Amino acid sequence: MADGLTALISSLGISNEAFIALAVMVLLIIGAVIVVIVSRPILDIYPYLLPNARVRARKGRLFNEKHFSEIIEADDINEIVNYLRGFPDYADIDDKAIEKSLDLQLASTYNLVSKIAPENIRKAFIALAKKFDIANIKTLITAKDANLSRESTIELLIHSGKNYETIESLADSLNVEDIISGLDSTEYYSVLEDALNRYKETKTVLPLESALDNYYLENLLSATSVPANDNTAILYSFIGTQVDIANIKLILRAKADGLSFEDMDYYMIKNGHDVKEWKLKDLMESEDVSGVISGLDGTDYAPILNETLNDYNETGSIGVFEKVLDEYLSKYANSLSLKNPLGIGPMVGFLNQKEKEIKNLKIVARAKREANFPNSKIQELLV
Amino acid sequence: MVDIALGTALAAIGAGVAIGFAGLGSGLGQGIAAAGSVGAVAEDNSMFAQGIIFTALPETQAIYGFLIAILLLVFSGLLGGGNGLSLEAGLVAIGVGASIGFAGLGSGMGQGIAAASSVGAVVEDNSMFAQGIIFTALPETQAIYGFLIAILLMVFGGILG
Repeated sequence: MADGLTALISSLGISNEAFIALAVMVLLIIGAVIVVIVSRPILDIYPYLLPNARVRARKGRLFNEKHFSEIIEADDINEIVNYLRGFPDYADIDDKAIEKSLDLQLASTYNLVSKIAPENIRKAFIALAKKFDIANIKTLITAKDANLSRESTIELLIHSGKNYETIESLADSLNVEDIISGLDSTEYYSVLEDALNRYKETKTVLPLESALDNYYLENLLSATSVPANDNTAILYSFIGTQVDIANIKLILRAKADGLSFEDMDYYMIKNGHDVKEWKLKDLMESEDVSGVISGLDGTDYAPILNETLNDYNETGSIGVFEKVLDEYLSKYANSLSLKNPLGIGPMVGFLNQKEKEIKNLKIVARAKREANFPNSKIQELLV
Repeated sequence: MVDIALGTALAAIGAGVAIGFAGLGSGLGQGIAAAGSVGAVAEDNSMFAQGIIFTALPETQAIYGFLIAILLLVFSGLLGGGNGLSLEAGLVAIGVGASIGFAGLGSGMGQGIAAASSVGAVVEDNSMFAQGIIFTALPETQAIYGFLIAILLMVFGGILG
């Protein structure tokens, strides 16, 4: 056989050295092709490994049901503060301003995730972290509208975000218009200026708040608007679902309050995930709350809203729908974390669960301030 | 230039493929596992030991490749100065190298991904350590198959014995 091979090599007109060189080249080419093929998925997941491990470590430190049972069993607010101080995330909690400390903790969580997130997706997390800027501006406007003092206003602000100093400096503005003018160096100026006339017409801060909310969600959608891969597509669907839920809540509340199509249309955010613009129009034109729910048939929201319709008929409160929609969003975020465990999933899931934890801690804190508020009732209120 | 038989030269290519690709898979796998472990340790210092264990697991593929490469070098006469290999045995040696090399590449990468995920699971819930080790050990089997076939090729292909 050796002779046959040698003869074959000779018949090709190449020397033994050339044959070896050829064999090496063929192997190198095959190897390069294999490396390129197998390394592509690795390159996709590699940027997420470190942030996901950090996020999952923090997820492991979130309070579970047992922790919350212990917190609810606390006799008073001081006992809750002492309990929370036993955990690294809440070691610095201020016993005089628990809610503010919790908001600060949430803001620092958002900031951390936006810092450690992979570069190609960071823009979206930075956009998510802007919710604290928005919350501060809303607080500022509401406080001014209610004639709160500078000190009282600053106490309500969350010290977070690159615009904090600007926002804080506006606490002693004369009126809402002054606040808006003072924000001219920020991205929120044009948004608020557009809504200023409506504020003047209605004499309520709702148009300004709504304009900020719309800007926040639209900004998020545009930050994730190129679903170039699984990760951006997942984030886009998550944000889109938030938009859908915000729109549905608003339409339901507006229908319950008997608002007109024009009133609602102003506050709608287009480009949701499941409820597109034409569907929104249909929903806004519905006669009543049950009409809105039947108009949602075929979407993921219809089954949960239909199940809650009886509760609504009994209580007459839109809150029952809002609660199930919030629960749906929470479950959806968790399902995303399982759907893409090596990509963006754990980050989305963690932020959602952290938000839920803070929300629940605030509920317990508020309830404990009320005298004789039953623990069983607190348990019911938890998200 | 050193006078090397054609079969021996082919065995040298086989040795290079064995350690080259197995080492590539092992390195990528360990890099992936290490990236996850660093993140875990950054948040929880007590994760250092578990992180090291998970990061060390994809090392085995490089060890298999290294062993096969050494055996090829020794039995082809490149190391120790024995007789050179025939052309057929040299071709078999390339198959030996490809067997452990490519199996080690896939196995190492798979193990690295599983290890990184396991580190994430353990840092979230410490009781997941045993399950994490089991899941991470599973992609080892492909490297073992490659290693066994490489040994069998060497035994029955006239390189060993």
